Amino acid sequence: MLELKNVTVKYGPVVAVRDLSLLVKEGSITALLGANGSGKTSVLMAIAGLNRISSGQILFNEERIDLIPAYEIVRRGLVLCPDSKLIFQNMTVFENLKVGAYTRKGDIKKDLEDIFSIFPRLKERLKQLSGTLSGGERQMLAIARALMAKPRFLMLDEPSMGLAPNLVREMMKAIQMINRTGVTILLVEQNAYSALKVAHYAYVLQTGRIVIQSVAEELLKDRKIIEGYLGG
Amino acid sequence: MFLNRLILGLSTGAFYSLVAVGIVMIFKVTGVMNFAFGNMAMFMAYVAYTFVEIGTGPVVALLVVLPLSALFGFAVEKYTLRPIRHLSHSSMLIVTLGLLMILEGLSTQIWGTQYKAFPELVGGKPYIFKGAFGIVVFRKQDILLFALLAFVVFATAIVMRYTKAGLAVKAVSENEKISQLMGINPGKVFSWSWVVGTMMGTTVALLGAPKTYISPTMMVFYQLQGFTAAVLGGFDSLIGAVIGGLALGVIENLVGGYISNELKTTFSLVVIITILLIRPQGFFGSREIRRV
Repeated sequence: MLELKNVTVKYGPVVAVRDLSLLVKEGSITALLGANGSGKTSVLMAIAGLNRISSGQILFNEERIDLIPAYEIVRRGLVLCPDSKLIFQNMTVFENLKVGAYTRKGDIKKDLEDIFSIFPRLKERLKQLSGTLSGGERQMLAIARALMAKPRFLMLDEPSMGLAPNLVREMMKAIQMINRTGVTILLVEQNAYSALKVAHYAYVLQTGRIVIQSVAEELLKDRKIIEGYLGG
Repeated sequence: MFLNRLILGLSTGAFYSLVAVGIVMIFKVTGVMNFAFGNMAMFMAYVAYTFVEIGTGPVVALLVVLPLSALFGFAVEKYTLRPIRHLSHSSMLIVTLGLLMILEGLSTQIWGTQYKAFPELVGGKPYIFKGAFGIVVFRKQDILLFALLAFVVFATAIVMRYTKAGLAVKAVSENEKISQLMGINPGKVFSWSWVVGTMMGTTVALLGAPKTYISPTMMVFYQLQGFTAAVLGGFDSLIGAVIGGLALGVIENLVGGYISNELKTTFSLVVIITILLIRPQGFFGSREIRRV
């Protein structure tokens, strides 16, 4: 469904991602793991069209998307849910959700109900300014906002960041739920164990290169690798 | 007398409000302080004057010049500011300063330095009301001005609250990059804010022209007071800009009437500085919400 072929991303002279190739199959949860600064977010930004790549190709459903603007990529069903700091903090929760549905026509009531069934907390907070939400609620809102676009392919940037362990488990469950509704997921995480438990396939990124790729279960068995590359 | 001063103050203030709304609209969305705002309007007023000179009448001139202004605003944003958007906001600000000077020079070259008279959009006898409160005079041009201001306020409120376009404006003004992830094309929103803002500037210039006459510096004072009004209102709030403008106009006229006409600008600015000392974010400015 999504394929990166020899992608390189540079910020001026600094190479953030080097000659990276990866494949995400339709219907799967694929994890992209790596420590801080390994280039995970740069990869996501490149796929979403917010970073231009300096060489290589990005294909979504066989179509090259690395040359089209970010707001057009969303219309193809490929949606990035960025870091939870990047919700619209001066807007209410409801407004955030409406912006999420910006590309769609027609009624969004049904989708709102679907989303409240995954994240009931958001329903209570609907009128609140999202800048006043707690860390966990922001994360929920970020994901909910992305879901409002009805993605076929959802990219999540560290959904577990800053969450308490029990909330991380809940979040991972929510991600599985979303996947079961037919959404393909690319999950970027620093928290390797939690991500590997829900993912089907995983790539490990180190200083801008893929160093390991494997079925998630296999990787989960090999503690040494996880600890070596990801620091546990 | 007080009532007449108040009305006069409100009508001056309505000019400031409209200028402030135009400036704030552009600032809120694109982050650019448009210093050329007044001079773009001035240039368009000269174009309108040319039409009036060949005999079209002021209303037709306005109707011809409005789409031209839209095009003008669109072109300035798209071809002079968009290409350097990635540099910094201050580089864009410098471009608008340059544009301010270019337009002033250009208009002097084309139309000369002599003041040109411009007819009122609606002329005729003013409405006069007599009663226990004394005599109150309403000029038709003022009524048009108030109606325009009311329309702008109403239309903006509707658009911002109930339409997708309003949602896009809010999203882009908060975070341009992230709004792209929602499928919003920020370029389109930038264009619209410049188009609407520039058309408003032109309308203000033509409404004010019978009083100020058309000259290369006709909008300098309005722009200055527009900025002041915007600051008073909080700079990122449209309704704040409206109220800031009206307040400034009223303060100015009351000071002019009861204290000293020479001191009215000075005194009103002192009042505003005092207000801002007490409330630095203006009447309606957002206190930024920051993550701790």
